[in-house]
Amino acid sequence: MEQKRLSREKFSSWLISGAGNSPTHVLLSPALFWILFFLAIPGIFILLIGFTKLGPNESWGWVWSTENFREALNPFYLPLVIRTVSYAFLTTTICLFLGFPLAYYISQAPPQYRGILTLLLMFPFWTSVLVTIYSWLIILGREGLLNGVLMRMEIIKTPIQFLNTPFSLLLGLVYFYLPFIVLPLTASLEKIPGSLLEAASDLGARPLTRFIKITWPLARPGIFAGCLLIFIPALGDFLTAEFLGGPRTYLLGNLIENQFLASQNWPFGAALTTLLILWLSAGLYFYNNIENNRL
Amino acid sequence: MKKSYTRREFLELSALAAAGAAVLPSLLMEACSSGKNTVNFFNWSRYIAPNTLPRFTQKTGIKVNYEEFSSEDAMFAKLKSGAQGYDLAVVTDYLVPKFKALGLIDEFPDGSVPNAKNIAPHFRRPPYDPSGAYALPYLWGTTGIGFNRLDLKKRPDSWHDLWNPLYAGKISMLDDARDCVATALLMLNRPEGTQDPKILDQAKQLLISQRPLVYQYSNDTYIDSLSAGNVFLAMGWSGDVLQASEENSHIDYTIPKEGSYLWVDNLCLIHNSPHKKEALELANYLLEGKVAADIANFVRYATPNAAALPHIAPSLLHDPRIYPTPTINRRLRFTAIINDETERKWNQIWMEVKAA
Repeated sequence: MEQKRLSREKFSSWLISGAGNSPTHVLLSPALFWILFFLAIPGIFILLIGFTKLGPNESWGWVWSTENFREALNPFYLPLVIRTVSYAFLTTTICLFLGFPLAYYISQAPPQYRGILTLLLMFPFWTSVLVTIYSWLIILGREGLLNGVLMRMEIIKTPIQFLNTPFSLLLGLVYFYLPFIVLPLTASLEKIPGSLLEAASDLGARPLTRFIKITWPLARPGIFAGCLLIFIPALGDFLTAEFLGGPRTYLLGNLIENQFLASQNWPFGAALTTLLILWLSAGLYFYNNIENNRL
Repeated sequence: MKKSYTRREFLELSALAAAGAAVLPSLLMEACSSGKNTVNFFNWSRYIAPNTLPRFTQKTGIKVNYEEFSSEDAMFAKLKSGAQGYDLAVVTDYLVPKFKALGLIDEFPDGSVPNAKNIAPHFRRPPYDPSGAYALPYLWGTTGIGFNRLDLKKRPDSWHDLWNPLYAGKISMLDDARDCVATALLMLNRPEGTQDPKILDQAKQLLISQRPLVYQYSNDTYIDSLSAGNVFLAMGWSGDVLQASEENSHIDYTIPKEGSYLWVDNLCLIHNSPHKKEALELANYLLEGKVAADIANFVRYATPNAAALPHIAPSLLHDPRIYPTPTINRRLRFTAIINDETERKWNQIWMEVKAA
């Protein structure tokens, strides 16, 4: 009894004052509350709904079945999965190639300009995604801005179909996700001490060697974070594909959205979602292991 | 009305949302003080005349809390998952039997809505509500082909025009299992309730064969695509296309010779409505001939209300695209009411067409 009270007191003092010099654990409560109610509980529900059966009139009750998971693993969906992963991968790669020089430039800019440059980068986020997508519709349309300019300059005679092609989808995805890699990369690159690069030069390293041996390895955490920030949401993206993609660019996100809305087949949609999350977590776990072994 | 945002509506809605944020505090106060003399009405966006509800309040003293939806899928999901606080809602035909089976709506008690007598005979006891007790027809329209006259050599008159390789990449189809599978069966001249796997496979193959020609499967942006010239032909809903034709006079609409579907939006009484008396009074008011005509004149959909017809603007009444001629009318049928099993097969077909 005495022991118990003691440990309870210990626990509450640990809770309030934190361990050692670290701040009080109470600071965590808003985040914990948020994660519990808006991530953990809905996540558990999604998992459970995936194991239920679709009843009459698109209702679902707690009747258990693994039918949805078996259906989701149907090889019929394999091309869809490959397509989705390819688009997410391509988006990430293009963003990395476009984002790296940009991030490097921002990180090397005089500190008083860095804030403004970062602000400009965030500019597209000041408007809603739907509005930016509609702007692309206006620019890329058959009688849109781009075709108009190209035709007036007599580069082309008949309008080119930009919209609803793999091109427009990739353009939309890259446009939207680019800042997600530039921000963490800039932070990583800023932290590389100039003295390291100077020392490398003094020891006779050429710019390329300096980049490969110093800049790139030290930027890896930023690259990794940025690529994840793009790859994961790109896998689940449905809005860009819905508006800028065509019938040939139907993605996993569209399939899932469709289960929750048009088909009202929540159990199947939940099963697809669960599999996507599982499969992503497994991928992250393995990648993390590889990355850790390397260091 | 099965529609989502057009660009203009979206901008209007954004403006409304901004305005809404400004009046939110007062709305919250109202919600807290929502006494007996209120009714909560859930309707499609832009699906009523601006003066309808203010006049109702003026006449009866009943305050209307008006809420709009822009996607019936989202609306179905909302009501299905137990959203409370609605008394009267506008429900699309094929959803009526589902709502009834799920216990989401109640019968209108006998004689509780005297103006129900105004409903035209054709719309009484429709297939989706054989007893005629659950749904009071509000507005109706058709599924057909919207097109841009400038882009086409010949006016489309058949569903097969949407399969014409001449228009490859310039065709838009609705993203809707019900509309597309039902239309494929119509083209194959097969009954919509069929369970025959061979026929269903034929319908699927027909839709898959069209896929290379299709620019987009869409329920909302096809109007923009048609206006912007991205597509020449679009399977679409009458009201959407006709609203676009007001902005671009080259856009036209036709009902194919093979026939098509007419759909009806209905007033339904939400189960256990706390303001049942007021909801019935509002339903009755909306079915008054003059009121129904004001609404139909404003939204440009067809009214199923016989007493409203004398008040309909002649330009609308004589437009066969809105009020089809008797010849066209014979080719129209009510939205297919299919059982769960068939519906699941249709959804499966549609998923395979799109994901293939």
